[in-house]
Amino acid sequence: MATVTFDGTTRYYAGNPTPAVDTLDLEVADGEFLVLVGPSGCGKSTTLRMLAGLEGIDGGAIRIGERDVTNLPPKERDIAMVFQNYALYPHMTVADNIGFHLKIAKMPKEERVKRVREAAALLDLEQYLERKPAKLSGGQRQRVAMGRAIVRRPQVFCMDEPLSNLDAKLRVQTRTQIASLQRRLGVTTIYVTHDQTEAMTMGDRVAVLRDGILQQCDTPIGLFSRPANVFVAGFIGSPGMNLIPAAVSGESATVGGMSIPLTPAQRAALTSDRVVVGIRPEGWSIGSSGVSAVVEVVEELGSDQYLYCSADIPHVEVAESAEEREAPHAFTVRAPGMSGWHRGDKLALTPQAGAVHFFDAATGDRLPD
Amino acid sequence: MAASPQTSRPAPVTSPEADVTSAAGAHLVRKKRLFWPFLLPAIGLYVLFMVVPTVATVVLGFTSWQGAGDTPEFNGVGNFTELFASDAFLYSFLNTLLYIFVAGVGTFLLAFLFTMVLREMRGGKLVRAILFFPNIVAPVALGMFFSIIMIYRPNRQGLVNYLLESIGVDAVKFLAPENVTWVVIGCLIWASAGFYITILMAAVDRIPPYLYEDADIAGATPWQKFRNVTLPLTWDVIGVAGVLWTIGAIKIFELVFVLAGPGTYSPPIESWTLGLYVFDRSFGTAGSPEYGMACAAAVMMIALVSVLVVALRRLMRRETIQF
Amino acid sequence: MSAPESAPETRVRREHRTPPRKPRPAPTARGFSPLRIVGMAFVWLFTALNVVILYWLVTAAFKTPIEIFNKPFHLPYTWFERGDPFRNLRYAWENAGFGNAFLVTVALVAVSSVVIVAVAAPAAYALTRLGVRGSNPMTNFFAIGMGIPFQTLVIPLFIGMADLGLTNNLFGMFLVYVALSLPFTVFLLTGFFKSLPDELEEAAAIDGASPFRTFFTVMLPLARGGLITALILNAIGLWNETLLAIVFLTDNANFTLARALFTLYGAASYQSEYGGLIAGVAIVVLPMLVMYILLARRIITGLTLGAGK
Ligand SMILES: Nc1ncnc2c1ncn2[C@@H]1O[C@H](COP(=O)(O)OP(=O)(O)O)[C@@H](O)[C@H]1O
Ligand SMILES: [Mg+2]
Repeated sequence: MATVTFDGTTRYYAGNPTPAVDTLDLEVADGEFLVLVGPSGCGKSTTLRMLAGLEGIDGGAIRIGERDVTNLPPKERDIAMVFQNYALYPHMTVADNIGFHLKIAKMPKEERVKRVREAAALLDLEQYLERKPAKLSGGQRQRVAMGRAIVRRPQVFCMDEPLSNLDAKLRVQTRTQIASLQRRLGVTTIYVTHDQTEAMTMGDRVAVLRDGILQQCDTPIGLFSRPANVFVAGFIGSPGMNLIPAAVSGESATVGGMSIPLTPAQRAALTSDRVVVGIRPEGWSIGSSGVSAVVEVVEELGSDQYLYCSADIPHVEVAESAEEREAPHAFTVRAPGMSGWHRGDKLALTPQAGAVHFFDAATGDRLPD
Repeated sequence: MAASPQTSRPAPVTSPEADVTSAAGAHLVRKKRLFWPFLLPAIGLYVLFMVVPTVATVVLGFTSWQGAGDTPEFNGVGNFTELFASDAFLYSFLNTLLYIFVAGVGTFLLAFLFTMVLREMRGGKLVRAILFFPNIVAPVALGMFFSIIMIYRPNRQGLVNYLLESIGVDAVKFLAPENVTWVVIGCLIWASAGFYITILMAAVDRIPPYLYEDADIAGATPWQKFRNVTLPLTWDVIGVAGVLWTIGAIKIFELVFVLAGPGTYSPPIESWTLGLYVFDRSFGTAGSPEYGMACAAAVMMIALVSVLVVALRRLMRRETIQF
Repeated sequence: MSAPESAPETRVRREHRTPPRKPRPAPTARGFSPLRIVGMAFVWLFTALNVVILYWLVTAAFKTPIEIFNKPFHLPYTWFERGDPFRNLRYAWENAGFGNAFLVTVALVAVSSVVIVAVAAPAAYALTRLGVRGSNPMTNFFAIGMGIPFQTLVIPLFIGMADLGLTNNLFGMFLVYVALSLPFTVFLLTGFFKSLPDELEEAAAIDGASPFRTFFTVMLPLARGGLITALILNAIGLWNETLLAIVFLTDNANFTLARALFTLYGAASYQSEYGGLIAGVAIVVLPMLVMYILLARRIITGLTLGAGK
C-alpha cells in the first residue's frame, strides 16, 4: 500500500498557454479514498491520467509511496484504472477482460484463473464470466471494469467518473458498493467525479478543483462547514449556499437592512470594505423580522421543503456549479417538510447562529472564524 | 363501460393522420414505379457488356476455337486437360498463386507493421498520403518506371543496380525470367501497401483510444497491443481487404507485361500470369491465337477467384463485434 | 431582483512561467520497444523511398539517357545547357503522338466519367431508397461485377463489338468504359445514398413533389459529395486504363495516353530513347499527381470506402 503525492504537478496542452493542471500540491494518505471534484473541464481527468502515466508531466513530480513515478511508464507504477467508458474489450469474455492485465504480465494460468474467480465472486459476476460485454447491463459492465482493476492488486486505484454512465438509481447503489469495497481492500484510491453529492458521500477527503487549480482539500464535513472560498462554498452542498455581497461598515455587514456582525479577526483580514455573506438554505430561520423575501417556487421533498425566494438584495452566482441551478432566485431556504408554504407567501428571514460564512469579496477567500 | 355506445363508435376514417399516411402510401407506390426506369440503363449495360460476355466465355471455354473466322466447336474438357499439360499455363497459374499469396502476405504484413507504428506517430496522415500515391498511377507507368530503374547493363546500370554497385554489391539481372516474378512481387507490395495501410488505418482509427490506454496500463508491448486489440477489432475489415486483394491480384497483367518483356510482345512464359495467358492467346501477337484456350484459362480465373473469395469469407467469419 | 455579480476569482494562479513549446508526451510514448524502433525506421525509409522515386521520375524527364543512368540523383543539365530543356517532353508530345493522345484521353475520360455517374446514380438511388423487394440481391448482383477480371469477358466482348464495327472506335471504347465501370460506381453510390437521412425526402413527398422531382431536386444535391467522388475515381481509373485500350484501339489516331505509352515503350527501349520514355511516363503520371495533391483526402476515402464499411 502506498501514499500518493502530487508535488507542484503541472500539465499543459499544446496550443493552450494556461495549464490544464496548475502546480497541484496534494497528498493522499495510504488507504485513503480521495475524491477529485470540480466542474467539467477543470482538469480532473488530466490529473488522474498524469498519475496513471497516460499524460506527460510538464512540471513538478508525482510520487507513489517513496517512488518518483514522474517518468515511469504506466505498468511500472503499480496502479489500476477504471475508465468512464469502462474500456472493456468487446471481443473478450468477461473472464478474459478481467484477466487481461494478468495475462499481459505473463502470470501463470492457474494463478490467473484463481484471481479472476476471486474478483468475480467479490463483484457478483460469477455467472457472467463467459459472456461478452455487449451482452451485459451497464451495471455489470461497470463491475467488470472494477474487477479488472481489483485483480491487479495495485497500490493505487484510479477511477475516472466510473458511475457517470449508469442511471440515477443504480448510481446510488453502486456508489456505496464501491466505497465499501475500497474500505475492505484498503487500497489508496483517487476517484474523479463532477458530482458533488458523489464526492461528499464517498470520499474520506475531497479535493475541489477549478480551472486546473486546487481550491481546497478537506473531509466532506470540513468542506461543508468551512469552505475555503466562494467557489467551494457555492459548489459543495445541494441546493447551493446563498451568497450575498454586502458592504461592511464598522464591525458588521449589512444584508437587506439587517446587520450581521464580523469578529475582529474577520474585520482585520478583510482587504476591502466588501464581503460576501454565505448562508446555506438550512441556515435561515423563518420568523417575523429580518430580510423580507417572497416565495417564488416551492420544492416539496416530503422530508424537507425548499423555498426559492426572491428578495431585493444582490446575490452572487457561482459559475458552473455542479448541478445547474434552474431557478434564478436570490435565495434558497429550507423549511421542514410539508410545512405548507406557497408561492407568493412573504417571509422574514434571519440567519441562525453560527450559520454565517464570510468571504472577502475581493479575493473570494474565507475570512477566519 | 366498454358497452357504452358512445365509446364503441368507430373512429372517423378520415382523421388527419390517416390522410397523411395514405398520401405517403400513394407516394410510395409512385416511388416504386421509378425502380425499373432508374435501374434499367445500368443493369442493361452491365448485363450486355459484362454478364453476357462472361457467360459466353464460360461456354466458349469448352470449345475448340482459333479465333475470328473460325467457328467454335464443342470439345468438352479438352481445353482444360490441354491447359494443365502446357508449361505456359502452369507457369501462369503458379505465378498467379504466388502473386495472390506471397505478395498478399507481404503486403498485409507490411500494412500491419505500419498500423502498429502509424497509430502513435505524428505526421502519420502525411505518411499515409505519400504511401497511397502509387495506387493512382497507371500500372503500365509503374511497370515502365521499374523496368528502367532495374535495367541490368554494365556501365549504364539502372538506378537500383547503380546503388548496388555504388555500395560494392554486384549488379543483379532483376528482369531475367527467373527473377522477374520476385521483382514484380516486390513492386506489387510497394505499390499496394498504401491502399491496404489506408483501409486498415481507417479501421484502427475507429477503435476507441481508451482500449489502447488500458493496454498501456497493462504494460502491453506494441506487438501485444496489435495481437490483443488491433487485430481482433479490425478483423472484419481485414477480411474485406483480403477479398479486394484477391480480386486485384488475380488479374495482374500490365506490370508483368512491361517489366518482364520488351513491351511489344509477350514476355517469356516463366513470368506469365493467368491474365497474361488469356491476353497472349487471344490478342497477343506471339503465335496464332487460340480463343478457345484463352476462354478456358479465363474460366480458370473465375473459378480461382470464386474459390478463394468464398474460402476467405469462410475463414474470416466470426460473430460480429460492436464497439 | 438584482443582477448577479460574478464570483471573484479565488486561489490565484501562480505567476506565469512560460509554457513549454511542446507538452511532454506520455511516458508510454517514450518507452523503448525494439518493434517500435524498427517499425518507425521502416515507415520513414519507405516514405522517403517514395519521395525519392517521385524526384527521380520528375528529374529524369529532363535528362539525357546518360544522365539518367550515370547521374540518377543529379539535377538535369545537358538539355538545359543546350537550351532545350523540354526536349524529352517535346519528343513524347510530338514524335510519340502524346499530344493527340492527351486530347483523346481528356475527352474520352471526361465524357465517360460523366455518363457513368449519370447512369449509376439513378440505379444506386433505385436500389437503396425505393424500398423495393429484391433490391439487396440486385445490389449484390452488381457488386459481383467488381470481382470479374476483365480478361474473362474481353474475348466475347471484342468479337461482339467487332461485329458492330465498334472496335478501334472511340465511341465503342466509350461504351465499354461506361459499362465496365458501372459495378464499382453503383456500389460506391449505394453507400452514399444509404447514408442520407430520410426526413428531407419525406418532407418533399408531403409537399407533393413527384418522386422523380424529389430525386433531382432533393436527393442528387444531397449526394453531391458522393457523385463528385465517383466522378473523380472513375476519371483516375479510366485515365490509367491500359488492357482494354490495348485490345480495342489499334489506330494511332485513337490512342489514349496509356495506350500510347505502351507503344512508346517498345520503340523507346530499342532506340535507347529513355528520356522521351520517362517524359511519356511523366505526362501520364503528373496530371494524376496534381489531382492527388488537390484531392488526396477525397480520393483516399472514396477508394477505401467500400472496404471500411
Ligand atoms: N488531449 C487534449 N488536448 C488539448 N486539450 C485538452 C486535452 N484533454 C483535455 N484538454 C483540456 O484540458 C482541460 C482539462 O480537461 P480534463 O482534465 O479532461 O477535464 P475534466 O476531466 O475535469 O472534465 C480542458 O479545458 C480540456 O479542454
Ligand atoms: Mg473528465
